[in-house]
Amino acid sequence: MKSVWIIAHNTFREIIRDRILYGLIIFALLLIGLSLILGQLSFSEQMRISLDFGFAAIHISAVILSIFIGSTLVFKEIDKKTVMTLLARPITRFQFLIGKALGLVMVIGTVLVGLSAVLLIVLISMGVLVEANFTVGLYGIFLESIVLLSMALMFSTFTRPVMVVSACLGLFLIGHWMGSLEFFAQKSKAQSFIAFERFLSTVIPNLESFNWRSLAIYGDSISTDLLLSASFYSSIWVMIFLVTATLIIWRKDFG
Amino acid sequence: MAKVLEVTDLRKSFKKGFIPTTVEVLKGVSFSVEPGTITGFLGANGAGKTTTMKCLLGLIYPTDGKMVYFGNRELDSQVKKRIGFLPEHPYFYEYLTGMEFLLFYGGISTSLKRSVLKDRIHDLLKRVDLFHAKDRQLRAYSKGMLQKIGLAQALIHDPEFVILDEPMSGLDPDGRYYLREIIKDTAKRGTAVFFSSHLLNDAETLCQNLVILKNGAVAYEGTTHNLLNKLGIEFEIRYYDQEKLVTEKIERDKANQRLGELIGQKKEIVSFRETVQSLEEAFIDLALKGVK
Repeated sequence: MKSVWIIAHNTFREIIRDRILYGLIIFALLLIGLSLILGQLSFSEQMRISLDFGFAAIHISAVILSIFIGSTLVFKEIDKKTVMTLLARPITRFQFLIGKALGLVMVIGTVLVGLSAVLLIVLISMGVLVEANFTVGLYGIFLESIVLLSMALMFSTFTRPVMVVSACLGLFLIGHWMGSLEFFAQKSKAQSFIAFERFLSTVIPNLESFNWRSLAIYGDSISTDLLLSASFYSSIWVMIFLVTATLIIWRKDFG
Repeated sequence: MAKVLEVTDLRKSFKKGFIPTTVEVLKGVSFSVEPGTITGFLGANGAGKTTTMKCLLGLIYPTDGKMVYFGNRELDSQVKKRIGFLPEHPYFYEYLTGMEFLLFYGGISTSLKRSVLKDRIHDLLKRVDLFHAKDRQLRAYSKGMLQKIGLAQALIHDPEFVILDEPMSGLDPDGRYYLREIIKDTAKRGTAVFFSSHLLNDAETLCQNLVILKNGAVAYEGTTHNLLNKLGIEFEIRYYDQEKLVTEKIERDKANQRLGELIGQKKEIVSFRETVQSLEEAFIDLALKGVK
């Protein structure tokens, strides 16, 4: 466990010292700033527009961070051959992957907390009363991010970052359409379409399961059961991706 | 005392090409490393040195063969705690400072308290002459400094066995001298050093034992002294032939006969002496020309 923590800490440090992260944070801050301006365009829905746009800014940043950085984390280790000295040490390949993933989770957590703090300041400055559901919306973004980063990590064990990003963006879009697809499958009488929907929902995570942003914006209540089942659903997908990634690199030759 | 490493019939094949064909890189490599010795691992480019070393560390899975560490152990986490490794190219985390870099590898490899580890790092940094650069990021290090910090990471957990892949490559004479001294010092402290090198002078000066690879198989395993004696001793006769000075090199077992012939032909013998080949000449005979 100590080794996993040390690798995670080093990964955290690696990303924090990378300029790309700051470019992304500036982009997110600009979007949050824009939410303030857009909110002022409306007389009646000022709070909702600002909150909606602010959540979107945080969501986009977390998704980009998970996919883009997740796609290069393991690839860079293999490409730059730093993995040689690391795996020659008393750590398993599974510990190596878990450490890398945990490091990125820590970065995503930190960025989410930072950006939410900025959004909160913006909202409070606008006189908006922020409810507890705000944190639930953020928690949903966090769960989605860790699923996406473990997906990116898995793909990066056998292909190049550009392919990883393409695959993850594709699955991200499909993952968010799963709800609509399920709805149409329920209405459809075509057995092949129903079977196709079932197949997709088995092999692709339904990312809409973590979308509580509108509930947070409109102040609707979210049951504890829903939160727990979504957390469990997220953990299952994370484990599937990380175990698959481990199986891929378990017998890989680092030549 | 148990051997640090015993490799028996190590084989490794790779599939290469669009239509995969099997290429056998290691064809039954067997050798051993004694505790506290410096063993040179020599061979031409592509002979299989780096592949062997990666097999030893579990970075590459051998197709067949056996590797036994410290008498009776297979490679596992406990064995890896007793092994240090410096790869051929010092690719390290360039965003880390020297101190952070060693804390990272030290933390992974030992269960020492951070304060004790820091003390050890300070000692090690002084030993490799990098204490002044401990707070500088590795991206600002020169090639020689990277080799030295790489060696420090290989030694951070006080291993019993160190594997160094081409530690001297790309270093200036100063850097090579420092690294040679560190390797000698490491062996003096009881650590077995196993290193590959293209620089035969360094191997000749440093190594008690040699393992020479040729086309994925061991061409020689034994002491450096024996190799130089076995392959290296020959005789040189210099004589006048029609007022022209001739120098002739003759193998040991034919030297007396040839000398007798020349005396019989009434040639004026100028000198008749034993010469010893350098490791470079011996290596060329053994690994490149295939002389046994």
